[in-house]
Amino acid sequence: MAWLRVAALEEVRDKEILPLTVDGQRIALYWLDGEVFAIGDVCTHQVAILSDGFVEDGCIECPLHQGRFCVRTGKAQGAPVTEDLPAFLTKVEDGAVFVDPDRPAAAAADAGLESEAPEPNDSAPDNRCMVIVGAGQAGGRAAEAARKAGYSGKLVLIGDEPTAPYERPPLSKGILTGEASEKDLLLFSPEELNRLALDFRPGLTVRRIDRDARQLTLGDGTVLGYDGLLLATGARPRRLEIDGGDLKGVLYLRSHADAQILKQALGAAQAVAIVGGGFIGLEVASTAAATGKRVTVLERDARLVSRILPAEISEDLADRARAAGVDIRTDVDVAGFDGSNGTVSAVRLASGETVPSDLVIVGVGAIPNVELAREAGLSVDGGIVVDATGRTSDPAIFAAGDVANYPHAPNGGPMRLESWQNAQDQAAAAGRSLVGAETRYEGVPWFWSDQFGLNIQILGIPDPHGAVRRRGGAEEGPSAWFQINPDNTLRAVFAFSDAAAIREGRNLMSRGNTVPEDLFETRQSDSRPEGCIGKAVTPATTPVPYIWPEGGMNRIPDWVYTSDEIYQREVERIFHGRSWNYVALEAEIPEPGQFVRSFVGPTPVVVVRGEDGAVNVFENRCAHRAAEFCREQRGKVTEFVCPYHQWTYDLEGNLSGVPFRRGVGGKGGMAKDFDPTQHGIRKLNVTTRRGVVFASFHDDMESIEEYMGPEILTDFDATFDGRKLTILGYYRNTVPGNWKLYHENLKDPYHATLLHTFLVTFGLLVAGNKSAMIADATGRHGTMASAKSDGKTVDSAAKSEMRAYRDGMVLNEPKFMDFIPEFDSPWSVTMQTIWPNLIVQREMNTLGVRQIVPKGPNEFVMNWTMFGYEGDDEEMTRHRLRQGNLMGPAGFLGLEDNEAMKFVQDGMLRGNDGEHLVALDPETPTGTSDTLISESAIRGMYAYWRKEMGL
Amino acid sequence: MSFMSKPIIGEAAVAGGFRKPTGEESRGLRAELEDFNAQYSLVLDEGDLQVWPEFFTEDAFYSVTARENFDHDMPVGLVHCEGKGMLKDRAFAIQHTAMFAPRYLRHYITNTLAIGVSDDGAVVARANYMVLETLHDDPTTHIHQAGSYHDIFARGTDGALLLRRRICVYDSLIIPTALVFPV
Ligand SMILES: Cc1cc2nc3c(=O)[nH]c(=O)nc-3n(C[C@H](O)[C@H](O)[C@H](O)COP(=O)(O)OP(=O)(O)OC[C@H]3O[C@@H](n4cnc5c(N)ncnc54)[C@H](O)[C@@H]3O)c2cc1C
Ligand code: FES
Ligand SMILES: [Fe+2]
Repeated sequence: MAWLRVAALEEVRDKEILPLTVDGQRIALYWLDGEVFAIGDVCTHQVAILSDGFVEDGCIECPLHQGRFCVRTGKAQGAPVTEDLPAFLTKVEDGAVFVDPDRPAAAAADAGLESEAPEPNDSAPDNRCMVIVGAGQAGGRAAEAARKAGYSGKLVLIGDEPTAPYERPPLSKGILTGEASEKDLLLFSPEELNRLALDFRPGLTVRRIDRDARQLTLGDGTVLGYDGLLLATGARPRRLEIDGGDLKGVLYLRSHADAQILKQALGAAQAVAIVGGGFIGLEVASTAAATGKRVTVLERDARLVSRILPAEISEDLADRARAAGVDIRTDVDVAGFDGSNGTVSAVRLASGETVPSDLVIVGVGAIPNVELAREAGLSVDGGIVVDATGRTSDPAIFAAGDVANYPHAPNGGPMRLESWQNAQDQAAAAGRSLVGAETRYEGVPWFWSDQFGLNIQILGIPDPHGAVRRRGGAEEGPSAWFQINPDNTLRAVFAFSDAAAIREGRNLMSRGNTVPEDLFETRQSDSRPEGCIGKAVTPATTPVPYIWPEGGMNRIPDWVYTSDEIYQREVERIFHGRSWNYVALEAEIPEPGQFVRSFVGPTPVVVVRGEDGAVNVFENRCAHRAAEFCREQRGKVTEFVCPYHQWTYDLEGNLSGVPFRRGVGGKGGMAKDFDPTQHGIRKLNVTTRRGVVFASFHDDMESIEEYMGPEILTDFDATFDGRKLTILGYYRNTVPGNWKLYHENLKDPYHATLLHTFLVTFGLLVAGNKSAMIADATGRHGTMASAKSDGKTVDSAAKSEMRAYRDGMVLNEPKFMDFIPEFDSPWSVTMQTIWPNLIVQREMNTLGVRQIVPKGPNEFVMNWTMFGYEGDDEEMTRHRLRQGNLMGPAGFLGLEDNEAMKFVQDGMLRGNDGEHLVALDPETPTGTSDTLISESAIRGMYAYWRKEMGL
Repeated sequence: MSFMSKPIIGEAAVAGGFRKPTGEESRGLRAELEDFNAQYSLVLDEGDLQVWPEFFTEDAFYSVTARENFDHDMPVGLVHCEGKGMLKDRAFAIQHTAMFAPRYLRHYITNTLAIGVSDDGAVVARANYMVLETLHDDPTTHIHQAGSYHDIFARGTDGALLLRRRICVYDSLIIPTALVFPV
């Protein structure tokens, strides 16, 4: 692609931020210091639209969690964002702005931004030794700030955890759901840590401070002298010293190790009790409820988060938690825990009542680790008392983070704050002060929490007993509450998914302005610019914050099915992520050199049997100029030749020939060091089971057997029972609906009895039939199974419920509906959905695999490969073909499903943003159910999907 | 006759007991075939599904399949009916049990050609077809499929043509959404 004219310069200048969709990508233009910059507009942390945020110091701040990116380069400025945004080349000509959406702007423009740190001065080496105790977020940030302030002397960082410094907020969020990994937590990449040139000593405890000698005694018995000391020892969970507190299954959450244990325990738990209704406990409750656990929160006070939130807001939060299925119980005193075999089985309340639970998480506050300081005689009042620069009562000693008691102006007075921002910014100021670059910290306190589909943010130091004024809707949309000081300045803002309120509040508070009356008026979402030029350029639609609605898994928002951004993320995280994708049947390519074209997600691939008999899968995209080189649907070759410039690839996708590689007459050609082995086609990881071929973009995948899980494997193996397959042919059709609707259709046994008159009439599937909806442990796969009955067993009550039941319909050729037993299975029908792109159809004797190829959010292609077995006689083959009239795009059932999916997509595309209701069978929150009148398998699939998608 | 066998074309038609029609025969048959196909499309375009099986013999074979399958001798069909009974069952099922968005279809049948005749009056024939689909709430009409009929006709007791086999082979790989009505 070349330069695209995307906007009038004037417009960018007027609006300062101009969100656009260019060639399907969300891009925002920025007007900064007389220049135009273009960077991606979707946050790399979670899905949020950055152009809704606000610009400060050349950075755009994300409205959701305040992640910051450099507008010039897209560079992420640190937690919570670690991944950079794409930045694009721009130019201005004749009053118009042009962007090249394919050309990233040179990252070199970045230089100079980080060079706040003066070059270390070689002439006068700094001989001081600075020591930081506690290698958590505050300790890490203080060390970084000390270096950035130009300190070049010895810098020792000691921490008793075995890991490099990391952040804790994801421990109760992404780590539990699996969407964040250990790597995502780290404050510094290994290279960054290296660059800080620390004497980093993990796994080591500091035992004692000798202030007179300026010496520390370490856990290994050694002694370490210091010139300056910074204490960032953080806090630890308050433990409940009550009966049964040491039972297995009673857990606390502070460290990464704790989170690992909790995550595992959550997987197996059924009934979860949370002791303590604070933010951390509620976040865990939210995660557990979203995965379908029974969750009870036990709070001693009369309301949730009573130390921070005013009553009105507590109540609102409690309502939302209840709507998500969490049982919130306030005014209860936990007296002890009951157990059996050493494992907790119930929480015992002082009233004598018990709450059965197989997992208990205690979140009843944190105790600052002040012991070192107290024993050393430093002034301690709740936390270690410091001044605005972070200095303690000993001028050589500083403190930061959760452990510090800091004079927060103006309402706060000295207090300890346990927040990410404090550990970030107050620690940075203390780190600078430590090395002599005295810095006062004066930020407005800010805190966030993600739970129950809400992004909660709190600005300022609230008074939990003070009055608040609300703005915004009661149920839907953003809500915010404001707390006002007597002098009519703003004291605190509480925002539920309302980033704008935080932005406005910050502006008022940092300037000390009084509150204007229109602050309480409900905000309309900004109107979007119109009239951009160029075919591929459209103004971005109203930004959607992709936040799952309250109410847990019973509601699915429309954007799940219609959003381009969600679709892009699905391709990245699901089809190209950790998944096994069906690509072919081995029976299609029995001999070396035989190939078929196929897809992994939307991405074209070639499936070919190599010389050695193994099946290879690689992208159908030439390494030279991206041509989709393989154009035949199937065939047999000895090598692949791209028709454009005849680059040649062997059967494994290695580049084996480049015409005129050495040029002609010594001129042209590839560079001398061109290495063909580095320019093969992208190869995929391949596995097979019983003649079915799967591929993955991920190299380190579990086996296909583990991936399917035992529940699914049983019926898969019943269909692929070892007999060799014979291919009977293909059906291919589009469906104008989202690809996930197909999974849902086959995880929705409810519809089968209602939509498919044909099935019901002939007794193939009736509500009373023996049947099951089986899901694997993750919820992503499913098997819809039923055993045939003769139709006479349908009682009249069941019939009248089913509009579709037509008595007395007789077939001229009933034998096409016969089931000839041939499988080792109790089921005559199994429809298996194997995530993310395969359906295995065993509809009595008509057999097929269906491959889903998504084409954007609103359409997919369905490729059906119908088969029989070697050894079928002609009559059996004919029977399979006749029975094939049930399925496929002209099948009596197949056509109805396709039509129904189209209707669903139409409904969403023609209506406003809404939600689907999937609430049948509340007794089974997710997964396997033994009634057909259930949507539990759909809920289970979305619980998994959300995890994969980080939503 | 195996349902899987390919149509008998040209020389093969002669070998299979069919001979190439003379020029005069060919012109006469074309008129007859065109008449037949016009009646056939009228019935389908009007939605008279219950009449549709009457164009076929009792032992007829009817299939709609992609060229991809046909060219590689793969026998599946989107629709696969052996015998008039199955045609009737399909007509009934579509008319009385199936759920689909209301639509009109329109058949265009051209290039009709008899390529083989036998002494008992049977005819091997080809024709091109195009089926247009109009959804009631959609302002545009779409080509649902384009393809060719591979037909074998027999004669009824009254001497009129009846289909003993019609294989509808569509050229495209992928069809849009669903095929509801016969081709
Ligand atoms: C589960 C969880 C979720 C959270 N979510 C949010 C959120 O959503 N938003 C938000 O704003 N804040 C959140 N927080 C709070 C935030 O993470 C903390 O405020 C922050 O981690 C404090 O950083 P710190 O460096 O002061 O303390 P810590 O991160 O606790 O680091 C202190 C380190 O010092 C070590 N240490 C202690 N004593 C010694 C010793 N004598 N010798 C050596 N090492 C020692 C400790 O083991 C620890 O590793 C959350 C906290 C937790 C636990
Ligand atoms: S900071 Fe952007 S989504 Fe979290
Ligand atoms: Fe169905």
